[in-house]
Amino acid sequence: MISVNNLSFKYPSGVEVLNDISFTIPKGAFVALIGQNGAGKTTLLKQFNSLLRPTTGRVLIAGIDTSSATTGKLAQKVGFLFQNPDHQIFMANVEREIGFGPKNLGLSKTEVRQRVARAAAAVGLTPYLTENPLFLSKGQRQRVAFASVLAMKPEILVLDEPTTGQDYQEGLEIMEMVKELNEQGHTIVFVTHDMELVARYAKRVIVLSQGRILLDDSCHNVFYQPAILRETNLFPPQIAKLIQKFAKQPFEFGKPLSVDEAYQEFLKYTESEPDVCCS
Amino acid sequence: MSVVVEYIAKGSFVHRLNPLTKLFWSVTLMTLSFFFRDPRMLAGLFFSIVAVAYMAGILKEMWPAFKGLLIVAGLFILFQIFFIADGKTILVLIPGIQIGHVKGIGRITDQGLWGCLAMGARMMVIAASFPVLMGTTKIKDLVVVLVEKLKIPYTYAFMFVTSLRFIPTLMQEMDQIMQAQCSRGHRLDEQNFFKKFLSLCPLAIPLIVTSVKKAERLAISMETRGFGIGARTYLYRNDFRPIDIMVNIALTFILATGLFLNLKGIIG
Amino acid sequence: MKPVITIEKLSFSYPGYSDVATNALQDISLQVAAGEFVGITGPAGAGKSTLVLCMNGIIPHFQEGDFQGKVLINNRDTFETTCAELSLQIGSVFQDPEAQIVAPTVEEELAFGLENMAIAPAEIERRISEALELIGIAHLRLRSTDELSGGQKQRVSIAAVIALRPQILILDEPTSELDPIGTMEVFEVLKKLNQEQHLTIVVVEQKVNILMEYVGRLLILKNGALVADKSPREIVNQPNLLESIGLSAPPVSQLADRLKTAGLYTQELPLTVDEAYDGLTKSFAFAKIERV
Repeated sequence: MISVNNLSFKYPSGVEVLNDISFTIPKGAFVALIGQNGAGKTTLLKQFNSLLRPTTGRVLIAGIDTSSATTGKLAQKVGFLFQNPDHQIFMANVEREIGFGPKNLGLSKTEVRQRVARAAAAVGLTPYLTENPLFLSKGQRQRVAFASVLAMKPEILVLDEPTTGQDYQEGLEIMEMVKELNEQGHTIVFVTHDMELVARYAKRVIVLSQGRILLDDSCHNVFYQPAILRETNLFPPQIAKLIQKFAKQPFEFGKPLSVDEAYQEFLKYTESEPDVCCS
Repeated sequence: MSVVVEYIAKGSFVHRLNPLTKLFWSVTLMTLSFFFRDPRMLAGLFFSIVAVAYMAGILKEMWPAFKGLLIVAGLFILFQIFFIADGKTILVLIPGIQIGHVKGIGRITDQGLWGCLAMGARMMVIAASFPVLMGTTKIKDLVVVLVEKLKIPYTYAFMFVTSLRFIPTLMQEMDQIMQAQCSRGHRLDEQNFFKKFLSLCPLAIPLIVTSVKKAERLAISMETRGFGIGARTYLYRNDFRPIDIMVNIALTFILATGLFLNLKGIIG
Repeated sequence: MKPVITIEKLSFSYPGYSDVATNALQDISLQVAAGEFVGITGPAGAGKSTLVLCMNGIIPHFQEGDFQGKVLINNRDTFETTCAELSLQIGSVFQDPEAQIVAPTVEEELAFGLENMAIAPAEIERRISEALELIGIAHLRLRSTDELSGGQKQRVSIAAVIALRPQILILDEPTSELDPIGTMEVFEVLKKLNQEQHLTIVVVEQKVNILMEYVGRLLILKNGALVADKSPREIVNQPNLLESIGLSAPPVSQLADRLKTAGLYTQELPLTVDEAYDGLTKSFAFAKIERV
């Protein structure tokens, strides 16, 4: 679905941000892109819809070479949810706001109306279609932005910090909707610095540091490599941090990331060493 | 934009002059340029500004601004020159065709040429001193001088300075807005003028909304730090040094002499 | 000892919302003593920001609405005291790092508030140096403000505010736009100010995990009302409390709680990873084996 081959990127000012990056993301993947500030995460995301183009190397989105495709053309394949919904809201009512994207795709009025209705329903904004989006709460505006992306029916969904600056509950709601889309077959790539979020939703994690890929592995494997993570100033989620403190113990704790998984590990431990518990 | 108002840190004597001195220099130039009619004198004034920029060590940074001014002046001359009909004809662009009693299209006369060159040069003199002033003066020093010596209310000086400080911030916001809208298939390469204008709406509205929100938050932050309650003090003051006195005397002399000779018809 | 913040039956509704069933703030009463480190949390729309604005005088002086009750800052009634006077008692830092910085350089930013208060230049110089040292950003003094990272910008804003020497510092989601490093930088500064300078700190945050680690007292707002006023320790022992307002306890606390219910965890419920490790090693007698 997304194929990155020896991608390097330099800004016109000469600053090199991405250095010989290669990886493939198959259809249906749920990938988190993490790394410290300035590692190049957002720069990499913007390569996926031609907002930025490779200086050397190639990026293929569903077979299309991004260097010869406009952002507008790739908008059909790649839906980009930005961090701040206020950077895109400008229409007088929610219906027209959500319809902006489909309209740009040149779809018929009927098709646009249908897509808007479906997208609004998916995010629970149907009662607000006639409201002015500027007067909605922050969480609702983020959902308007999300519906705007959904209405384009992209196969790939790219999210840049979907929960930063959000209320905890609303952030989770957006991620749950994203998870549902992934279960329906959409490919998801998201950037965040909330490691608990990564542990909860991502199936695969790519760690970027100074423009290079440090790690590209499953969630569980990535968060149990503390030395590498420290190199890039990232902390693993709490549970992983905790279990790693038991690394020198004879019992093999596995690699739990959630409370559930960790709980199971401790149960296993008590079963294997029944005389040890409860001092 | 920023090349016009950004402070360029070098240690030249021009930098060390009191902002008031430099303002006086700017005013001297502008006054003389209004009285002089000879494009050669005006060009001379312009080159004196270039010389000052060189002395201040900022000529390289000023060059794009000066170049821009040259182009604007050139365009201005081009548009005006065909409309001045007095004097002897020097050149006709398309001879032979007669419209009414006017022979030929695109007539350039000697007076027209002289007058337009003068106007163009005057424009350049008036505009060129501002970037040099801003390039050699820290904004906070300028504010102090405006408020304390020229008695401009602090609020206005503050508005000016703060707007400048927000230019890079708003430019970044604009970048992000453009990327967000293009990602939704919005096109910015419309050829039709009307469509081009409309294509700015999805960019302008979010920018305005974001700016207003920022302004409100900034106002709250300022209120909680005592803004506007009355007289204020300043961390840095600018003194008038001997060099300032010397330069100001020199400028006064130049201004007086220039005006005197000009009115007498000797120069200008 | 008289409390530094006293709020008595405070209710507030924004103009045009007086017919809405719930006010932005409903009948809030609380007191904060000098030197406390208090956290305020709650879901979006709970009234957290409104409460902050009531404490620094923006409400009622610059924001209209229906204001009932009383707010006393160091015994001064906010209704009778100007925002400027209040800023010498209580300093405010807000969420958006960009929309607080007024000046092009860090030094001018710190000078801003001091100049507004007509403080003598020599004293301004002294206070700027002092504030920069305290916050640990003396090396940023001459830097251009638009070159700074988010965490640095927020620390500059904190320094600019404490240069006015208030006894209380109130912050409205100061780390919401920051990454984990920036968040930690800000909270470490707050901890230092609280412990070394004995400043009273009130910080509003959504990130419950980090509040649990730093604050001594947590206030929970929901729908404009104060629904809980407890220490982090007490809150972690009542997991339903956080759940009922749509927040969750730190994962390590949740883990310990489940193990406790299964009879396997014997210690106090932990607030941080370190406490959890200590508690687990004791409960499971890991002490026999060499600690990491």
